[in-house]
Amino acid sequence: MAKRIVVDPITRIEGHLRVEAVLDGGNRIQNAMSSGTMWRGIEVILEGRDPRDAWAFCERICGVCTTTHALASVRCVENSLGIQVPVNADIIRNIMFLTQMVQDHVIHFYHLHALDWVDVVSALKANPAATAALAQKAAPNWPLGTEGYFRDMAGTLKKFVDSGQLGIFQNAYWGHPAYKLPPEANLMAVCHYLEALKWQKEIIKIHTVFGGKNPHPNYIVGGMASAISMQGDNAVNIERLNLVRDQIMGAIHVVEDMYLPDLLAVAGFYPEWTTIGGGLGSYMVYGDLPRNGIGDPSKFLFPRGVILDKKLDEVLPVDPADPSQIQEEIAYSWYDYPNGKTSLHPWDGVTIPKYTGPKPPYKELDESKAYSWLKSPRWKGHPVEVGPLARMLVGFAGGRPEFKEVVTEALGRLKLGPEALFSTLGRTAARGLESRLAARWLLDEYNRLIDNLKAGDSTTADTRFWNPATWNAESKGLGFTEAPRGALCHWIHIKDKKIANYQIVVPSTWNASPKDGKGQHGAYEAALIGTPMADPKRPVEILRTIHSFDPCLACASHVLSPDGETLAEVIVR
Amino acid sequence: MTWTMTGGLAEPRAPVLVLGIGNALLQDDGVGLRLLERVKETAGPAPDCEFIDGGTQGIALLGYLTGREKLVMLDAIGLGGEPGTVHVLRGGDIEGFRARRAATPHEGNALELLAMAKLLGEEPGEVVIVGVEPAAVRTGIGLSDAVEAALPRAAAAVKDILEGMRRRSDVFGDSGKDC
Repeated sequence: MAKRIVVDPITRIEGHLRVEAVLDGGNRIQNAMSSGTMWRGIEVILEGRDPRDAWAFCERICGVCTTTHALASVRCVENSLGIQVPVNADIIRNIMFLTQMVQDHVIHFYHLHALDWVDVVSALKANPAATAALAQKAAPNWPLGTEGYFRDMAGTLKKFVDSGQLGIFQNAYWGHPAYKLPPEANLMAVCHYLEALKWQKEIIKIHTVFGGKNPHPNYIVGGMASAISMQGDNAVNIERLNLVRDQIMGAIHVVEDMYLPDLLAVAGFYPEWTTIGGGLGSYMVYGDLPRNGIGDPSKFLFPRGVILDKKLDEVLPVDPADPSQIQEEIAYSWYDYPNGKTSLHPWDGVTIPKYTGPKPPYKELDESKAYSWLKSPRWKGHPVEVGPLARMLVGFAGGRPEFKEVVTEALGRLKLGPEALFSTLGRTAARGLESRLAARWLLDEYNRLIDNLKAGDSTTADTRFWNPATWNAESKGLGFTEAPRGALCHWIHIKDKKIANYQIVVPSTWNASPKDGKGQHGAYEAALIGTPMADPKRPVEILRTIHSFDPCLACASHVLSPDGETLAEVIVR
Repeated sequence: MTWTMTGGLAEPRAPVLVLGIGNALLQDDGVGLRLLERVKETAGPAPDCEFIDGGTQGIALLGYLTGREKLVMLDAIGLGGEPGTVHVLRGGDIEGFRARRAATPHEGNALELLAMAKLLGEEPGEVVIVGVEPAAVRTGIGLSDAVEAALPRAAAAVKDILEGMRRRSDVFGDSGKDC
């Protein structure tokens, strides 16, 4: 008899995603449905507006990815108008991008995902001296690790828990047998949770320096709005640049001496998760971090490409401008396409809602009909996973030395082969390894900026095409980036100086998409199918795999659940 | 090591933070941001108050709470009342919401933010949330009529709160008369 588990919502941060898993008689997931339960429709808001303003609206789409949406937006307008931004603008954008990526990955690991592996309540039972000994071994270069430190931190934690405020540690299953860390490892991880919380307040100041303000830093079509004058008082000056450098050094320290050691320590306790949750085995990366302008993907630090069916000996080329490559299907989505079409390239994309689902609140969705507000983007008809694992695999398979180095080293430490990457833990580990590359690249990009400035080039924007009188009557463009959660692209159609059409395909739409016309599952669904459940009433296994993708349905279905904070709702029938 | 936890861009902080929260693309959900604009305009020069548009950010706003003595959060709050009703929540009320569920569209954010600040020992000494009961929370720009009409009342409530804070403490000093 099939049992059905409903987890709704699954995100700890804003957004609304519903996952239904159908178990077989042996408590193994035999079918899964991922549903975005709120309509987005940002595209409708943008129609008819000035393309130069689009980024400021896009920045509001998601509370987490503000800068990445702004970046994709200015890039699509620049692509449409034929603007190539100055070198400094690319470098500053790279610094903003990398800052966002490192901050987001660290927050994800400690504040959104670690609680699937780390038992906060168990941490209270830890012996401070034994925890100090463990920390000395696991994270020897992290300065906070004495017995006294752990005793104090455990006291703070206990006070907090005793005051009944476990709320922020919600959506987990304390005491579940699937938690395998000893109390000392739990305490170490929880302490680092707090250190990460303090650190993330600092690193994001880089956005304030270059973006003028944060949250919602300023972008501009044609470059960056950051005025740089090494000796000036009212611009980004040498004092501010030195502060940026300090923050970058701090990021390298946090990633290499705290995050990665914690990641490897936790991973060592969960070897079975290197064989669970792999899912599609096909991956797509648009690539980003230009070193020779956005038009030259061969010089991107994150290389572009597609891997199909776990074949690491072949990286296929991808082009988001090619209508035959990227199509959005709606076979199982609550949308309508004109003229009976079932799939469209985003340049021709339309956003016409057609809700045919049950009236909320509902017990379950019908998987034989439309069941999501997300469309199903596909690459040449293939469902693909996007995100850190995709990026690490494309870099690794493409033979980039820095990717090979970090991947090989981590696999060696855990005594695993590359096949272990195709898993829930592989996805989580890829995010950490990517953070290591990103933190180092931050320093590289910073040094490039300083070199350019010293050589006398302080240009950050090209405003020759600012005046709409210089534009063609009609043009199309696209702006891609690699958001922390994966491939993101904005497609724009400009007509008579206004936005005629604007379509966005966010990473969570690739990953959380419903089935397509051929019945192929999206990445979340595929990753869940086959997962054994220890206790279906407390589905920590589902949380582990879905959280390993870092879901942000604020991106995909846009927003905040109307009922606010909700604990995981579990219904077993 | 050139870096310390407390280093970097340590600027003098205004003791009072007025933080607007919401999604400007979801109609009434963005009322906190509109209220922030209005309060800022009518407050005039206020050197001891800082006004920040927090959008829909969560944990990333934590840094803005550090070192504050008072926090006034502006948000959409759905308590099932008439659209446009102005809610003022203080200490005990807010504590109550931590234990409950589903009060505001941003509860996960606003309350999580406060809980995290508390965990770090950085919660401002006094926290007040001013919110307006939304009528329409769906994709679109601009407030519903009922919520638009509530803005002057909500702004007056914020003004009273800021004045009350000034009367009850010296955080505003002499320079904060117009806050």
